[in-house]
Amino acid sequence: MGILSILLWTPAVGALLLASVPGKNIRLIRYIANLFAAIAFLLVCWLLSNYNAHDAELQFNEYFPLNPRLGSAYALGVDGLSMPMLVLATLLTAMALLASFTVSSSVKGYHVCILLLEFGMLGVFLAQDWALFYIFWEVTLIPLFFLIGRWGGKRRHTASLNFVLYTMGGSVFMLISLLAISQYDLEHGGSLMSSMHQAAQDMPRFEQVLVLLGFVIGFGVKMPIFPLHGWLPLAHVEAPSPVSILLSGILLKMGAYGLIRAVVMLPEAAKLLQPYLIFLGLFGMLYGGLLAWRQSDLKAMIAYSSISHMGIVLLGIATLNEIGITGAVLQMSAHGLIAGALFLLVGLLYERTHTRNIQDYRSLIQVMPRFTLFMTLTLLAAMGLPGSVGFIAELHTLIGGFSAFASLGLGLVVMVFFSVSMLIGAAYAIRTISLLFTGPKSPLPPLFQKGARGDFQLEDLKTPELLAAGILVAGIVLFGLVPAPLLALSSATISQMNTVISQRIL
Amino acid sequence: MDALVILIPLMPLVAAMVIGLGHLFGAIDGEAGESLSADIASWAISMSCLLSLALLGADFLGKNAGSYMIGHWLNSDTLDIPFSFITSGFNVHLAALFSVLLAIIIRFSINYMHREAGYHRFFFILSLFSSAMLLLVLSGNVVLTFVGWEVAGLCSYFLIAYAYDRPVAVLNATRVFVTNRIGDAGLMLGAGFSFAWVGSVNWNTINAAAAQLTSGEATSLALCFAVAAFAKSAQLPFTPWLARAMEGPTPSSAVFYGAVMVHAGVFLVILLRPIFEQAPLAMALVALVGLLTAVYSFVIGLTQTDVKSSLIFATSGQLGLMYLECGLGFWQLAGWHLCAHAAVRSYQFLTAPSLMHNERCLNSEFPTRNIPAWLYVASLQRFWLDPIVDWALVKPVRGLAHDLSYFDDHVIDCMMGAPAPAIRAISSLAQLEEQRIGAQLDNDSDQFAQGSGLAGKITQWMAAILHWFEERFVLRGIGKDAINYGRDLGHIANKFEQAVLRPRYLVLFVLITLLVAF
Repeated sequence: MGILSILLWTPAVGALLLASVPGKNIRLIRYIANLFAAIAFLLVCWLLSNYNAHDAELQFNEYFPLNPRLGSAYALGVDGLSMPMLVLATLLTAMALLASFTVSSSVKGYHVCILLLEFGMLGVFLAQDWALFYIFWEVTLIPLFFLIGRWGGKRRHTASLNFVLYTMGGSVFMLISLLAISQYDLEHGGSLMSSMHQAAQDMPRFEQVLVLLGFVIGFGVKMPIFPLHGWLPLAHVEAPSPVSILLSGILLKMGAYGLIRAVVMLPEAAKLLQPYLIFLGLFGMLYGGLLAWRQSDLKAMIAYSSISHMGIVLLGIATLNEIGITGAVLQMSAHGLIAGALFLLVGLLYERTHTRNIQDYRSLIQVMPRFTLFMTLTLLAAMGLPGSVGFIAELHTLIGGFSAFASLGLGLVVMVFFSVSMLIGAAYAIRTISLLFTGPKSPLPPLFQKGARGDFQLEDLKTPELLAAGILVAGIVLFGLVPAPLLALSSATISQMNTVISQRIL
Repeated sequence: MDALVILIPLMPLVAAMVIGLGHLFGAIDGEAGESLSADIASWAISMSCLLSLALLGADFLGKNAGSYMIGHWLNSDTLDIPFSFITSGFNVHLAALFSVLLAIIIRFSINYMHREAGYHRFFFILSLFSSAMLLLVLSGNVVLTFVGWEVAGLCSYFLIAYAYDRPVAVLNATRVFVTNRIGDAGLMLGAGFSFAWVGSVNWNTINAAAAQLTSGEATSLALCFAVAAFAKSAQLPFTPWLARAMEGPTPSSAVFYGAVMVHAGVFLVILLRPIFEQAPLAMALVALVGLLTAVYSFVIGLTQTDVKSSLIFATSGQLGLMYLECGLGFWQLAGWHLCAHAAVRSYQFLTAPSLMHNERCLNSEFPTRNIPAWLYVASLQRFWLDPIVDWALVKPVRGLAHDLSYFDDHVIDCMMGAPAPAIRAISSLAQLEEQRIGAQLDNDSDQFAQGSGLAGKITQWMAAILHWFEERFVLRGIGKDAINYGRDLGHIANKFEQAVLRPRYLVLFVLITLLVAF
């Protein structure tokens, strides 16, 4: 049993252990859940220190045939693409658990679900076999369905049902695509990512395009790509804040991660679909940005801004060149940190005031200075200010997109679309800052008047909350100032993928 | 021993961070936290004082390599900016001197600032300032020096505007900062030129390449750095900022820029000695400006009636003499002059508040009787330097800004839209009541997402269209309608099922099956 298996099964063991703890012992439950999340994070840190960033191949491989007749196997591995995602997944799960101290109804079930969700997410990023990948992809749905439907807001049932139906609908297309490719895999008959890769080459061009379309629909629902995002605003708004952190921080990245793997598998088809994908990415950026600008609900605003930011990822993937894909991978990490921090902070604010309408707030800096600091930094990072990790990612994507479209003579179009969506992003970020934090202290909306003498009372961030927000914001600023380690982590893998793509296209 | 050099600016920086974060998170607060905050600041500066003395000792024993590099900060094509430090010679002497002075000043401030509002802020800025000064004198390249240079300027802004609720203090602080920015521009330009002509931003490389530069290049480079130095050291025509800087509430903060930071300019000129020696024109300019400033400060100093002002004009006069020495080629003398002056002036500043106390019988005899009346008036008015600058620079800029603002209001804002006011001021009692009962009648999202101007309106309409699309098709269309259709379909299927299960159809089916079977 290798390190990856230990990592993968740690949350599952934690969930099993929790299941045997009596539900009334809330402190013990929280302690165990946090402990296992911390263990998983430490394991990933250990993995990170042993990971060789110069080696583009899969590392720490594990292989165990599951079903020899079908060719599916329990194959795990880590490369430069999945390594940052693993760190992000375990980190954000730990942060989400830190932010979950206010969950008071059926605490046990909640923590079991979160740990199972972590199990599923780790599985998706670790699996090197498409069958295993698909299983874990579906595994994440079950705990999420319960988390949204059980602990969510007013319209939680609609939200969870909508989410599951959308994702299931998408994954059907993904399954069809996978089956279609595996038909051509005559030699091995397996579903290993590496062997499927070979199989995809033998397919006719037209079928490749169809198969890639299936993948785009399947992963695009999760990512989300523009017309397939209907589940996202509702699910994000209704989900409890810690779940929103995981949802936007990691689950959206599963879609992007899968799409990168699929594009590397089918580069010729990707080349044919490239203009459409770039257009979808750019349009999604504008669409999400404009709708985010319209929202007065803070969570809905962040949800739509996620669509806008994941548009950048799609654009980066669709450029099919090294710098663009680097940008996409960076943006995945950046958006994980930024959206995670935003949902965390908004959730903490909501717990205190029970309103998400931005117009109910003003002048928070006077009562919550620490909250103001973190929220402002995160919003500035969300608009891609230099010095934050968002800027590094957006710059790479922009350069990649420009050079990809320059060959078509439309580099300027990319620039214009991109700049306009940046501008809109800045508009809603700055407006949020000014509405939340500035302005005169009084007169105040009634909801704040909770103090004994009717004065303005709101508690600033407490220590565990401070820790969670501080780590995320520190990551955002640190990787913005010194991006080299983040770039180096995945550069070898990306350049190898780029070689594969450019060989096949030419 | 070279590696010690990293810690010297790092210690006060860490202290500043600890104080700042501690204060932000409420760990260091109020009078109870005063000793903690003071301890952190004074321990850190004492440590870097000891370290820089150790470095100085090692330098005297000849154990230093002369430079030390940790790693690269920025590396792009031919531009390479390392984290490098100079660990020998004048830089180390000055670092040792400055750190001793800074330690003394911080120690002095602990008692002086007791129970002042903003105690922790003061020590935060003081530590940051110490770090910036030490980085400035020790850094091995222009960029890191610029970092120290800027942070020191920023800290002096904070210190001058320490009582930020007083408009005069803020006005003076802004004026000082803006004046200093002229010098910063010179330093930036110098860094750019040295990268363009020498291909490096390291001080040692620039100095070594001085001989290869053409005289034009050397002169331009020297002039850029000279402007930076003049601004920082309050030489003509920048001298008035120094008097304004005395707005800083405490002598200890006055020392920081009055006796330590102002020397940074002279330090820069001495550091770039090879470049200046290649540029006779720049040397002459330096000497001339120094001479003029010395005379100017002397004359003005004659009529000053308060301790801080007379000290400050004495300072600028002495700095003028240092520039004169540099310009005439007495580099060694200028260096010694700098060190001696820094020490003496710090002492004078620190004792300034108790001067009245100690010398009860101040004689009111002013040595101003023998000078001609016009000079006396000019001296009182400080040669009208501030009004001249206002007239020559501030007024035209203000006029231009006014015109641009007109253009902005009438053209740009119509096109691009004005930013919405963040504060929706409550103008009527009805609105106040509405807010109070939480009705917020004008609160739907259409009201919320408003743009102004052409671009704003376009954005608004685009957003409205997309919103309609999203609502109608994406959310309602797929989310609700699909579910409804599904439900309808289910009803129909149910009905069909029920119909099929009626006995007459059942019998019919059985019959048909039998018929087919046989």
